[in-house]
Amino acid sequence: MQKLLMMIVCAGVGVAICTTAAISAEDLVAAVKERRDLMKKTVAPAAKLGGQMVKGVKPFDAAKAAKAMNEINGVPDKYVTLFPKGTEHGGIADSQIPDTDDQSEAKPEIWENFDDFKAIAMKLKDASAKAASAAEQGKGTFTAAFKDMTKVCKECHESYREKLEH
Amino acid sequence: MNRAWWWALLALAIAGSIVFYLLTIPKTLPASALPAHKPDLANGEYMFIAGSCAECHAVPVDKCKSTRVRDKHVLAGGRCIKTPYGIFNVPNISPDKETGIGKWTTLDFINAMKRGIGPGGTHLYPAFPYTSYQRMTYEDLIDLKTYLDTLPAVKNEVPPHQLTFPYNVRRGVGLWQLLYVDGKTFKPDPKASEEVNRGAYLAKGPGHCAECHSPRNFIGGVIASEAFAGARNPEGKGRIPNITPSHDGIGDWTADDIAYFFETGNTPEFDVVGGLMAPVQDNLAKLKPADRAALAAFLKSLPPRPDAVPKKNKSGRDNGHDDDGGDAEGDTGQPDGTE
Repeated sequence: MQKLLMMIVCAGVGVAICTTAAISAEDLVAAVKERRDLMKKTVAPAAKLGGQMVKGVKPFDAAKAAKAMNEINGVPDKYVTLFPKGTEHGGIADSQIPDTDDQSEAKPEIWENFDDFKAIAMKLKDASAKAASAAEQGKGTFTAAFKDMTKVCKECHESYREKLEH
Repeated sequence: MNRAWWWALLALAIAGSIVFYLLTIPKTLPASALPAHKPDLANGEYMFIAGSCAECHAVPVDKCKSTRVRDKHVLAGGRCIKTPYGIFNVPNISPDKETGIGKWTTLDFINAMKRGIGPGGTHLYPAFPYTSYQRMTYEDLIDLKTYLDTLPAVKNEVPPHQLTFPYNVRRGVGLWQLLYVDGKTFKPDPKASEEVNRGAYLAKGPGHCAECHSPRNFIGGVIASEAFAGARNPEGKGRIPNITPSHDGIGDWTADDIAYFFETGNTPEFDVVGGLMAPVQDNLAKLKPADRAALAAFLKSLPPRPDAVPKKNKSGRDNGHDDDGGDAEGDTGQPDGTE
């Protein structure tokens, strides 16, 4: 009986080890794609809309500005979960991604300083929330909050993004 | 006969050494080259910002390879820059008398900036971009020296550079300087507007934009005919963008877009600046709006050029498994910190 129990436990542990260890290359590729999509398809258009209002290319619209900032606000929590090891630029994931434009732009320093990386992501969450509520108070307040948010973007891009193409 | 050959060879070696010695005699400026000028401290600080001195010389925040700095005003050095020639350890230029440049006279400073020669006739390596700084006016340099003298003196002995042969032969830099250093101050182009000339001065002199944004030849000199057309990132894996007004470059940016980027860090697509340009853009944001506009006008006036470093093919992985093909131009040595 005891032997049987042990066998079951061992088998269970084995499966658990197998499933954790087996983050396949496809999963890594998927993580790179998902986080790049979050940046390119959610953050970038929202930042562009907000930025164009700040720059005066588009008329300021409080509701649209707030909506855009809230979209950015929804990203950081998910974003930081998409950095398994092997997804740095030139890592295992990239070896499976033939199109260089789709490859990882993550510097290895992210994994050296993951707490700092996460802290900046949380700053983005905070700054985008502030920008969203600032939108209701008019263009001047929104502009200041948007610029503060840009500083957070820059802080992360400075240390952790390897810009490959432009 | 055999003996005669040896004598001939010896004579040749001696003659070669003498020629090398003569060619590499440090070419310094005499004190009489300095104009009478009452230093303007505010302009000195402005040149310090425009010249991004702190980005290399300020103490890095933790490891020597870190590009974040503790305090832009503490120029005690210690950053390490990995290049194909070896590792450069950025020197202490704080006014400390023993380990910094506290003993340098104004003439010493100007010889370093305009001639690449340190006190005592030491050839300085062009990782220090005197190839650009030589274009600065004497007045701006005197002001800059005066400003640097007001910054905190910090004792910090920086280790010597660790370069490979033949680059570790300092005297050899003298030969290189024959090609790339003439100490000539920027001359405005009479055919260009005052604005474009001001931008050209800031970009080619203190701003030293071409140092990163241009490709280099096999001896590490900027290829003039491809200036500003982009390059491999000497310290990373990506590329430094082409900033000429071409299809490959920033031809679709208006002058206002460029000036706005300098001010905010936002591209016309509202992507945000990063990497080594991020702290440079911080500095650009501190310049006068008219100077940012002048820099933009200058960039728009450049001849449009295709990318000096072609973008990778879509099947980029096929030309080698490593990050940048291992070509000497941009290879940073081993990837750090991943193992």
